[in-house]
Amino acid sequence: MKLAVTGKGGSGKTTTSAVLARTLARRGHDVVALDCDSNPNLGISLGVGDDETERLVSMRQALDEGEEEHAPAWDQVLDHFGSDAPDGVRLAVVSRIDNPEPGCL
Amino acid sequence: MCEASIMRVAFVGKGGAGKSAIAGTFARLLARRGQPVLAIDSDPLPGLAFSLGLDRDDAPLPDEAIEDRPEDEEGPRYRLRAGLSAADAVDRYAATAPDGVRFLQFGKIRTDPRTLFRSQITFRQIIKELPEDRWHLVGDLPGGTRQAFTGWGGYAETYLVVVEPMAKSLLSARRLARLALAGDRPVRVLAVANKVSEPGDAELVARRSGLEVVASVPLEPAFADAERSGRAPLDVVPDSGAIGAVSSLVEHLDRQPLRRAPS
Repeated sequence: MKLAVTGKGGSGKTTTSAVLARTLARRGHDVVALDCDSNPNLGISLGVGDDETERLVSMRQALDEGEEEHAPAWDQVLDHFGSDAPDGVRLAVVSRIDNPEPGCL
Repeated sequence: MCEASIMRVAFVGKGGAGKSAIAGTFARLLARRGQPVLAIDSDPLPGLAFSLGLDRDDAPLPDEAIEDRPEDEEGPRYRLRAGLSAADAVDRYAATAPDGVRFLQFGKIRTDPRTLFRSQITFRQIIKELPEDRWHLVGDLPGGTRQAFTGWGGYAETYLVVVEPMAKSLLSARRLARLALAGDRPVRVLAVANKVSEPGDAELVARRSGLEVVASVPLEPAFADAERSGRAPLDVVPDSGAIGAVSSLVEHLDRQPLRRAPS
């Protein structure tokens, strides 16, 4: 199953995603939760806490600043830029963060 | 008008924090003081129109205001039609909301991307070229942290971060505060605690965001109901504590204007 959760700001995307991920994991599935938001908060809703959420974000940011190497394969992305969340969910922050200008203009 | 009295503020914060509701109320209360106000919604999923009391939320620039940029001219693909200044474009094409607030919108995500693209590029030209002293500017920026302090929000000198006393909102506020300080132009960044229900909430927002809290807007079901029905809270619950808090915010900022640095 590959699910993407979208919607207007504040409508509950992050909370819904986190509950879906942990519920699926509790039913015995292997689950990867990807935070693709430019303001990534999924870690908070999954329950890994402020500090770990911010650590993942700063890892992702270090990539933009050239201080981290890109991971060449998906499993290395999860390994290097991910964190273990409750119920066995693996969380990774894969968002675009530091380009404040809209890409098309 | 004295230049120092002009306010250029933009509301930022996590999605759903209450930016539009507060920005719309703020713009109208400012206009009631008798000064011209231009409200700017640069969210492609817009909400400011309803909070201002307009009954439609889709008001892109009309085609006649826009022309293709000649090929030998540097710059984006579209521009305001020749002879039309940014101020003219506002006079002619901005919607007029209650209390005389003029309203300019980035353009809503809609079916024809070409129309949207033309409107958005020209919208950007307008906000860059607005005269310094003609209107107070009150902006509603898209949720999140991506484009708060540059690009669409570049006109603002005071950023008001709307923060709910909840973990994700607090973390977003902290990120916004950090981004503001990392920017290359001086801005004032202040927090508005929203949906406050506990005595310690404003203090929590100040501590966790690291920002000065200049308003504390209470959580009120009637205010939320107004938003749910797509009506301006100022028209539905004018005597609520939330409206009172936004009114105090207008006064507070009016007493402490930030003079624009000479450019």
